Amino acid sequence: MDRKTYKTSETVDFVIVGSGASGGIIARELSRAGNSVVVMEQGPRMTPGDFEHDELKYRYLSGITNNPATNPQSFRKDPSQKAERTGSNALTYARIVGGSSAHFNANFWRLHEIDFIEGSRLGPIAGASLVDWPITYAELEPYYTKVEWEVGVSGLAGASPFDPWRSKPYPMPPLPVKSSGVLFERGGRKLGLHPYPSPMAINSMFYKGRPACVQCGLCGGYGCEVKAKSSSVWTVIPEAEATGLCEVRAESYVFRIGMNPAGRATGVHYYDHDRKEQFQKARAVVVCANGAETPKLLLNSATSAAPQGLANSSGAVGRYLMFNKGGGAQARFENPLNEYRGANVTRVIHDFYDSDPKRGFYGGGGFDARSGGPINWGQNVPKDTAAWGPEFKEYLESYTYWMSCSGHGTSLAQETNRVDIDPELKDAWGVPAMRVTYKDHPDDLKHANWQVQRAAEIMDAAGAKQIVAEPVGEARGGVHLLGTCRMGNDPATSVIDKHHRTHDVKNLFLCDGSSMVTSGRGQPTLTIEALAFRAGEHIAQFARANEI
Amino acid sequence: MAKPIPSRRQFLAAIGNLTSAGWIAMNWPQIAAAAEHAGHGAPDTTAHTTLTTLSAAEAAEVDAIANQIVPGGATPGARDAHVIYFIDNALGSFFAAQLPSFRKGLVEFGSAYAARNGAGAPFSAAPEAQQISWLHEVDKTPFFMAVRRLTVLGLIASPKYGGNYDGVGSKLIGVEDRHVWTPPFGYYDKDYAGFEPYPGTKPYTA
Repeated sequence: MDRKTYKTSETVDFVIVGSGASGGIIARELSRAGNSVVVMEQGPRMTPGDFEHDELKYRYLSGITNNPATNPQSFRKDPSQKAERTGSNALTYARIVGGSSAHFNANFWRLHEIDFIEGSRLGPIAGASLVDWPITYAELEPYYTKVEWEVGVSGLAGASPFDPWRSKPYPMPPLPVKSSGVLFERGGRKLGLHPYPSPMAINSMFYKGRPACVQCGLCGGYGCEVKAKSSSVWTVIPEAEATGLCEVRAESYVFRIGMNPAGRATGVHYYDHDRKEQFQKARAVVVCANGAETPKLLLNSATSAAPQGLANSSGAVGRYLMFNKGGGAQARFENPLNEYRGANVTRVIHDFYDSDPKRGFYGGGGFDARSGGPINWGQNVPKDTAAWGPEFKEYLESYTYWMSCSGHGTSLAQETNRVDIDPELKDAWGVPAMRVTYKDHPDDLKHANWQVQRAAEIMDAAGAKQIVAEPVGEARGGVHLLGTCRMGNDPATSVIDKHHRTHDVKNLFLCDGSSMVTSGRGQPTLTIEALAFRAGEHIAQFARANEI
Repeated sequence: MAKPIPSRRQFLAAIGNLTSAGWIAMNWPQIAAAAEHAGHGAPDTTAHTTLTTLSAAEAAEVDAIANQIVPGGATPGARDAHVIYFIDNALGSFFAAQLPSFRKGLVEFGSAYAARNGAGAPFSAAPEAQQISWLHEVDKTPFFMAVRRLTVLGLIASPKYGGNYDGVGSKLIGVEDRHVWTPPFGYYDKDYAGFEPYPGTKPYTA
């Protein structure tokens, strides 16, 4: 297919920065509405044949993720410390067309109604900024459904007594259960819990021109070379391009948003494939670069009129960084599970989703049964197991007998947890690099430790021979990058309004994990994509009404 | 050695009830190419089989340590998996930044060993019991931890990096290198009776 291209001298209707979970959807919605669109993506465009089953490359050599050698970050726990650059980055995300939707595990949980109103129900909490969203579950529900049907999600509606209401079932049945799912379900039911088939953005059947999963087992961290995983690169981006109005410009690193004296965005400055500076003109800019890159871009776009950074009159840009803190346990069973086969997750438990004041701390979450790649698994041994020699070898030989029961939970928003710009560090393009400041809220640590105990109980009830409680440490980074340009009605305390327009710049919109007000309980991508469909619809309406 | 991708017949049989065989037939060349690129195609002919970074003397010491970390015997160990070629390749390419500290650690390892056991023979020439005894004394050092980390990587990573020779590392951990799997995947899902709805719920499908 001949793909549409635009000259940088042309003023397109929209430049979208980022081609991932949200950028791809907004590109589709805006181009289908008749707008000219250029999507800027830092990384390359990969074909199915480019994705490899290579754990070393993808897990250790930044094969498709931000590389600490070229995209460095600094980290500190506390604002009083000097942030240090380390060998690995605190915040990890895919850097290819499709963004992190290309390498996600594809767990697609909806938020529950409570997620949107926890501030008024459970707040205030000392040291945290727990506030309500400016939208409700009811407002987002149609867009959750839209994601499930337009992008493709498999699952079993109505199976969990704890699921929020929904207007339609999943378009595809659940994926086949794995041994970890069977054991997890066995243990959960024995304890009176309600495990159910996990909703996954992976085709369980031929759907929308893409095949069913071939169960190769390499989802999280990998691209899907058969296109069964519902990543933007295989779903909405080709649909956006099919309009003839959308260009996806790979290897184009946007480093500053252009502004005019009237306070309007005029386009984006970027480095092209040859690291040559370019400028793409646009009527409006939509930043969907993820919860790390979006605040970095805004802060690096400071002007004399906005010296704190673009759209940052509230001072909230980059603040309230959240991950999804959780705790779990590994368990060894009598017979082989072969967890390296099949989609990563097949059963989930949401009995403990809500925060329960009786526990004495804030926090809630879900559990799932999952596995990890062998290289990563082999690097760590349980306490009391020899780290080398014949006993270690026996441990390696037991790889297929293990599974993880993983808890995924809340992280409280805290003003001091943030992404900002390191005063000294620059990346390989000479762009000021991000500085990450993060320290878990005490309640997040308590909840994670509480989850470890529940996970161990589930595995014990499942009949595990050996259970290894995973120690809960202080977070030094994450992959769910949330809250750094929070949505809200008050321009003094939030960055974007409920339609994703920045409070400060009329023709600048943001939509990705940074928009989230609370962390949810893990697996934020479905919510990010639902927000993107909703944002795309509203932005298209604004464009039609000449209100951008 | 990487196994070939499943045959066209096997592939169609495997996913016959899950997807459109027509789509697969139409796209088979693309899927086969993807599978091959994904590491399930023809055997890799670019594997590293000679030393290019470490000297023979250095490699002998590292190989001896690696072979105590994952010893051979009834089943293959690090030496059988050619882990030393992985380590040599890694330190000469994608982990080159670690080479100076690795070499420094190796020198210190050798010096400390000689100070204890005499300078007459290197660690690699020592009897197995003496090697094990010495490693217990140094197994908390950064150098030993680096060798351990590289040994595990070299045992399991793709053979194209020089280790996991003939897939012996994959076999050791019980991983069969294939592109396509169908249920049952393991022991416990063989006889799964199906999801039983909970009282008060009404699961429904499209």
